[in-house]
Amino acid sequence: MKGLRAWFARVAGLFGRERRDRELAQELASHLDLHAEENARAGMSRQEARRQALIKLGGVEATKELYRERRGLPFVETLWQDLRFAARTLGKDISFTMAASLTLALGIGASTAVFTLVNGVLLKPLPYPHAERIVYPWRQSPPGVELGFNELPWGIIDTNFFLREAHTFESLAAFKNGSFNLTGWGEPALLEGHRVSAAFFSALGIHPERGRAFTKEEDQAGHEFEVILSYALWRDKFGGKPDILGASIELNGQLYSVVGVMPAGFDFPQSEQMPSSFNFPREAQIWVPLALSAKPYPAQPADLAIIGRLKPGASVQQAQTEMDLLGRQVEKQFPNGKGWFTSKVTPMALQVTGDTKEPLLLILGAVGVLLLIASSNVAGLLLARSMGRKREFTMRAALGASHGRLLRQALTESLLLAAIGGAAGLALADASVRFIKIIGSDMLPRMQEVGLDLRVLGFALAVKAATGILSGLAPALGAAGTDLATTLKEDDQRSGGSRTGQRYRKLLLVGQVAMAMVLVVAAGLLTRTFFQLLKADPGFQPARVLTFTISLPAGKYTSNEKIVDIYDRILARLGSLPGVQAAGIAETAPMGGIGESTVVKILDRPPVPDLQAPYANYTIASPNYFRAAGTPLLRGRYFQESDRPESVPVTIINHAMARKYWPNEDSLGKMLGLGSPRFPPMKVVGIVADMKHQSLREDVMPEMYVTYTQKPYPSMLTMQAIVRTHGEPAAALGSIRTAMAAVDADLPVAKVSTLQTIVDQSMTRPRFAMLLLGGFGVVALALASIGMYGVIAHSVNQRTREIGVRMALGADPGQVFGMMLKQGARLAGLGIAIGVGTALGVTQLLKTYLYQVKSTDPATFVGVAALLVSVALLACWIPARRAMRVDPMVALRHE
Amino acid sequence: MGEKADVWQGTLALMVLKTLDTMGAQHGYGIARRIEQTSGDLLAVNYGTLYPALLKLEQEGYIKSEWGVSDNNRKAKFYALTRAGRKQLAREAQNFEQMTAILARFLAAGESQS
Repeated sequence: MKGLRAWFARVAGLFGRERRDRELAQELASHLDLHAEENARAGMSRQEARRQALIKLGGVEATKELYRERRGLPFVETLWQDLRFAARTLGKDISFTMAASLTLALGIGASTAVFTLVNGVLLKPLPYPHAERIVYPWRQSPPGVELGFNELPWGIIDTNFFLREAHTFESLAAFKNGSFNLTGWGEPALLEGHRVSAAFFSALGIHPERGRAFTKEEDQAGHEFEVILSYALWRDKFGGKPDILGASIELNGQLYSVVGVMPAGFDFPQSEQMPSSFNFPREAQIWVPLALSAKPYPAQPADLAIIGRLKPGASVQQAQTEMDLLGRQVEKQFPNGKGWFTSKVTPMALQVTGDTKEPLLLILGAVGVLLLIASSNVAGLLLARSMGRKREFTMRAALGASHGRLLRQALTESLLLAAIGGAAGLALADASVRFIKIIGSDMLPRMQEVGLDLRVLGFALAVKAATGILSGLAPALGAAGTDLATTLKEDDQRSGGSRTGQRYRKLLLVGQVAMAMVLVVAAGLLTRTFFQLLKADPGFQPARVLTFTISLPAGKYTSNEKIVDIYDRILARLGSLPGVQAAGIAETAPMGGIGESTVVKILDRPPVPDLQAPYANYTIASPNYFRAAGTPLLRGRYFQESDRPESVPVTIINHAMARKYWPNEDSLGKMLGLGSPRFPPMKVVGIVADMKHQSLREDVMPEMYVTYTQKPYPSMLTMQAIVRTHGEPAAALGSIRTAMAAVDADLPVAKVSTLQTIVDQSMTRPRFAMLLLGGFGVVALALASIGMYGVIAHSVNQRTREIGVRMALGADPGQVFGMMLKQGARLAGLGIAIGVGTALGVTQLLKTYLYQVKSTDPATFVGVAALLVSVALLACWIPARRAMRVDPMVALRHE
Repeated sequence: MGEKADVWQGTLALMVLKTLDTMGAQHGYGIARRIEQTSGDLLAVNYGTLYPALLKLEQEGYIKSEWGVSDNNRKAKFYALTRAGRKQLAREAQNFEQMTAILARFLAAGESQS
């Protein structure tokens, strides 16, 4: 209490100084008067009485000083004094302050923005309770089999076995995607959702906000007609009415009763947080019981993902051990399945960040480099300034300022500078995060959760303080550690500043140029990659093509004949529309992700064990699909109307498949079988160009197409329609909708997009990387040229007199100009040389992000070096010209 | 400020409080004189150190100050005990007596042993 009160009094003592000083002076004066009077009464002379009183008091000024120390908080007072002084000096040198704080703002802004992203994507905990216990046991392919995916789906038999036998999990659940036509509730709509087993919600630890989760009984085939809605769907489609619970809605022609509504924001699993080998929707709207049948049809495709919540205390390793054991047991049930039941238990956090972790860390590294450039730049600026102020500092030291005090003063100044730069940087960071969120929402997972938060603020402050100290310390040490007498005697202008100081600055500059070189080379490589991608041949022509999803309700289209019939009718209608050039369907649209893949058998070759068997992506398509997509036929023919169940089964393969499996012979006319002997062998009738499925940079995998008219395996309920139009694709949409409704009024035309949009979307990541690193490159260039300008300008100032002498002795202004320019060029050259060496090593890390550009691409290296040289020369040019114009008379008098 | 000064300040504060208790409101010079006289001129300090001590006591709320006029018609700042100060004096005096009693016993024990 008393301590607090005294402290308040002392804080109050910081203010109203003058009044308090006056009062103290009065009090001491009256004290002296009283004492002197008494002394005089004791018989002293007036003068002696006063002198004795003063001695007894111990000196007026000393008492005042003692008193002041007690009155306020001396530390705060000095700080305040330093701050005001720093503000005054910074204010006097506006151009320096601007340059330094701008540099800092750029450095701090960029680092905070990127840290915000890293923080949001990598560091922030997942929105599930005890998310560290949530794992995915993904299926792995046997060693030596390269499918292009690391995480494969499980089949029904194995999944049932795991769900029954695994004990390290508190909850273990399987799920797969499923889309549902909602009918009888306004416009028919295609809802994206999942079929999930009973323990799904408890594995995630999130339960419906209203209603309940599924019971074990509902997770049985024949009882699965229950549905849980997402909050957004409930609000938007069902008006947010509480009486939705218990209501029945029609999905795929079946009645489902609504048992629950999930909390707002719950949309697990989102495709971007899942392996690309699963076709999960971007956003989940409904969940329906999975209801795995106990005796599955053997050829059912494996399409299940498994998620588990570990028991408290159980480790990922324990779960892995158990899954390995169970995998070996279940393997025995499959004669050909050796090696196909190994799993990798992956923690959810790892899965979510997955592919983005490495790029984000790379970007963080780039930011670190940028921050280093900014810091060394500011250090250089401060150093130049402190050399100019050497006399001032020395004078202050001579007047009694301690070294510590001078150091503190200098540090305060650079911290104040860092604070100004930091505040501007924070504003910049906020703006750039908003910007990145707008342009980058598709490119990074969990982007919508990203925002500047307290931790980010903390990081920004730490960076600020570190920058301030780092750039403040060196000059401050230089200022404090001077020999007073020598410095006071020597004339700064004449000596050209301290040698070590200059060398230190040049070193900083060389480092800056080298670091800028590395960043700009990286940016250059990514930019070239981007333009290579733009030129890349996707294997189809995206212009004027409309795509949408057709999803047939299983309840209505129960047989293969019915399905083939409706597709026949749809394609006939769409194909005859006046605005339509060609219409086709396929399981996966171009750039629409990868569908299924299968083991293939080449009939005229000796059988190989399954492990080494050739495999291919397997896509069901319609005769006109390739024409609609604009995929060129290389040899043979397209599918035809005459390819019917009773005619010879045919297949079309892509160029990559022909090259891979028939490297030295003609693949046309060869016979191909699938993994299961139940499917008849097919004859290769055509070879088409390689179509890309995920990104323009991918290496195309072998792919085979079969026609929907020949009763292919497996289901064809969901297909992608590809419609090439004569004019603007959007203009044809109305007639397409009418045509679809005429065939079946309950069929939604879902997920309408143009092929061009899909291709563009696939370019967002490379574009994002290019823009981001490109931005860094530009900033780094700007910073390095500010630094270059600073050093040369300073050097010109320092050498004004020398230049004057040279000119007076007859040196040609051009020569002087060349001399200054040469100085800059030498530094830049050294920096570039070091930078090239470093960049050669660093760009190795970028290899996976490049497309048809070598990480040592000579054009990029030479171009960037030339760019840096010209920027450096430009930065030197202005001060060098000033040197040329020096008037010898003025320079010589300039003392 | 070293430790010794703190100890001294502590005792000085107690003396100031006691002086104000016996004499009533008093100005700085008066307090200084009184302490010197009471100590039998054994304590000879710079009067200057008294003022920070007074300020500290005032900040802690044990004394309050007011400008007034001295006996011989001089303007001076007068210090007086507050209620909290009176309590503090009682407490400190007791502490001090306890302390000296313990010390005395301690020293006596040391003497008898040697």
